[in-house]
Amino acid sequence: MTGCCGTGEKGHAGDQSSLERVDLLSNERIAEGVGLMILHAPHTASLVEPGQFVHLRVGRGRDFILRRPFSVHRAHGEQIEILYQVLGTGTLAMAELGCSDDIDLIGPLGHGWDVPENIDHALIVTGGLGAAPLGGLAEKLAAQGVAVTVAMGAPTQERLVGRDVFEAVTRRVVIATDDGSEGEKGFVTGPVARLLDEGSYDMVYACGPEVMQREIASMCAKADVPCQVSLERLMACGIGVCLSCVVSTKDGLKRACVDGPVFDAGEVCWDASEIPPKH
Amino acid sequence: MTVATDLSVTIGSLKLRNPVVTASGTFASGREYANFVDLSRLGAVVTKGVSLKPWAGNASPRIAETSCGMLNSIGLQNPGLDVFTQKDLGWLETQDVPVIVNVSGHTVEEYAEVCRKLDGDRRVDAFEINISCPNVDSGGMVFGTSCPEAASVVSACREATSKTLIVKLSPNVTDITEIARAVVDAGADCVSLINTLLGMAVDADTRRPKLARVVGGLSGPAIKPVALRMVWQVANAVEVPIIGMGGIADAQDAIEFMLAGATAVAVGTANFVDPTSTMRIVDGLTEYAHSRELHKITELIGALEV
Ligand SMILES: Cc1cc2nc3c(=O)[nH]c(=O)nc-3n(C[C@H](O)[C@H](O)[C@H](O)COP(=O)(O)OP(=O)(O)OC[C@H]3O[C@@H](n4cnc5c(N)ncnc54)[C@H](O)[C@@H]3O)c2cc1C
Ligand SMILES: Cc1cc2nc3c(=O)[nH]c(=O)nc-3n(C[C@H](O)[C@H](O)[C@H](O)COP(=O)(O)O)c2cc1C
Ligand code: FES
Repeated sequence: MTGCCGTGEKGHAGDQSSLERVDLLSNERIAEGVGLMILHAPHTASLVEPGQFVHLRVGRGRDFILRRPFSVHRAHGEQIEILYQVLGTGTLAMAELGCSDDIDLIGPLGHGWDVPENIDHALIVTGGLGAAPLGGLAEKLAAQGVAVTVAMGAPTQERLVGRDVFEAVTRRVVIATDDGSEGEKGFVTGPVARLLDEGSYDMVYACGPEVMQREIASMCAKADVPCQVSLERLMACGIGVCLSCVVSTKDGLKRACVDGPVFDAGEVCWDASEIPPKH
Repeated sequence: MTVATDLSVTIGSLKLRNPVVTASGTFASGREYANFVDLSRLGAVVTKGVSLKPWAGNASPRIAETSCGMLNSIGLQNPGLDVFTQKDLGWLETQDVPVIVNVSGHTVEEYAEVCRKLDGDRRVDAFEINISCPNVDSGGMVFGTSCPEAASVVSACREATSKTLIVKLSPNVTDITEIARAVVDAGADCVSLINTLLGMAVDADTRRPKLARVVGGLSGPAIKPVALRMVWQVANAVEVPIIGMGGIADAQDAIEFMLAGATAVAVGTANFVDPTSTMRIVDGLTEYAHSRELHKITELIGALEV
């Protein structure tokens, strides 16, 4: 690929993505400013891989018009779960949605987490809502017999979202909170540094604020452990067309919506990378 | 029994099966939409802007949502003519749809060179010359906001190709009819309008602009009234057909543009919201024509009763 990606080789939104009318089964507030949505979305649920996302249409009006991208937290049967943080217009409207509302999504989209065949022990690192794309991955790894350790970071104990999913698949869940309300006081990078020192991991999977992912990426590079990260970019189309979501990589600009959102941390040019507005 | 309406329209030497085309930069070359759109039901595909050499585009963030619209400052990132010819035209050739190549350049010569190189390529049906992109420092809108500059680009492209030449106009001018006349005099077969309106968004929390480039182009429903007004003005000023665009999201919008004087309509930002927008609009137009017992869709063009 050249320095400027156009419609690159990886091409398009998975050939399997489609526009799907979905039913909202439940929409609960699970922590301060965090909601969990369960959607009946048979097409997406049957195809989605951990780390992939959906492009959700929240409102029918014309006052805010773009779709919002959300990772699929977990998929079971014909249902998908979305863990979301309430930030602005779109997510505020999401929190108000009820079962009779008209919702559609494009999904499944993007390139999810790579799980190489020969890994024995994986470290999952989450920062806040970064747990969202990692729930399904933890379940998949455990089902394949991979030992999983999870390092979770959040501002407070209440905001340790997704925790039950991780605790259901592994007893090795290490916690750090900014205010010390549970686990170690401080950022998740503290426990991660120790885990990398002590353990022998074949792969680190990280998602959270971009500054955190950057830090984890550099710690993994030093420890010589491969690392994957899931990056957030502003997205208009979500299917590889508009080039609003570009990520600087060693191979030039790539599109977070089709080439990502999951990238090999070593491939990302962190200096040039952009932190989305509100994280 | 009612007879099916003839939906076809003509732009220069190009006949479109219906008036609905894609707006450049919102549809790439169409491949990504194959799951959502039957390309053979489109009037034409207008490709993403193509330049002679690869362009890297602008820094991120490149978009910002605004009330009823969005700003973009993508900056015409594209892999250049060679990659485009190989990959995109190669794919489009297998699709049953006319292809309009949107051309960008930093200099008059660059625009003309793209037209010259593709002039003999039978996979290309027409060119749309973008002299109206607000997101590049040299070229782009610089050409589209001055009559002599606009005319010089169009004359050079006219000499470089005998294919249908569409010129895409900028709304960021005092009098769009002057530019329209200048490009028609220089040889344009058709004008398309509007490109995005120059705009800006600010984040009050961070005190920073929402776009890395600070300013960008506004598109979507927010610009529709401005676009309609300009289409109407241009329709009264020049004789060539017009491709109208700016905030078109449904068939009703498309009909409004045709009544104001557009021969065809392009759908842009709406593709992001609903990737099936173009199909909905084709269906809606068909239904409208049927219910009004139109023989030809062209009966709508400029039929505004003032
Ligand atoms: C691939 C991907 C997966 C994501 N998964 C999740 C998830 O599982 N849970 C979750 O809570 N959030 C997730 N996000 C972030 C989520 O998309 C934004 O928080 C959301 O779009 C904010 O919308 P808003 O209308 O509330 O905010 P506003 O600030 O009002 O939105 C304005 C515009 O900016 C965009 N935007 C704002 N913040 C972000 C951001 N951080 N990333 C991308 N776009 C943004 C919006 O989509 C909208 O177009 C994900 C983002 C991406 C790119
Ligand atoms: C993300 C984006 C990229 C665009 N890229 C191009 C381009 O490459 N060339 C061009 O002539 N116009 C480009 N445009 C302008 C559109 O083709 C169209 O003129 C404009 O968006 C108004 O129509 P809309 O409101 O339906 O989107 C772009 C618009 C958007 C939103
Ligand atoms: S290319 Fe449009 S969001 Fe990625």
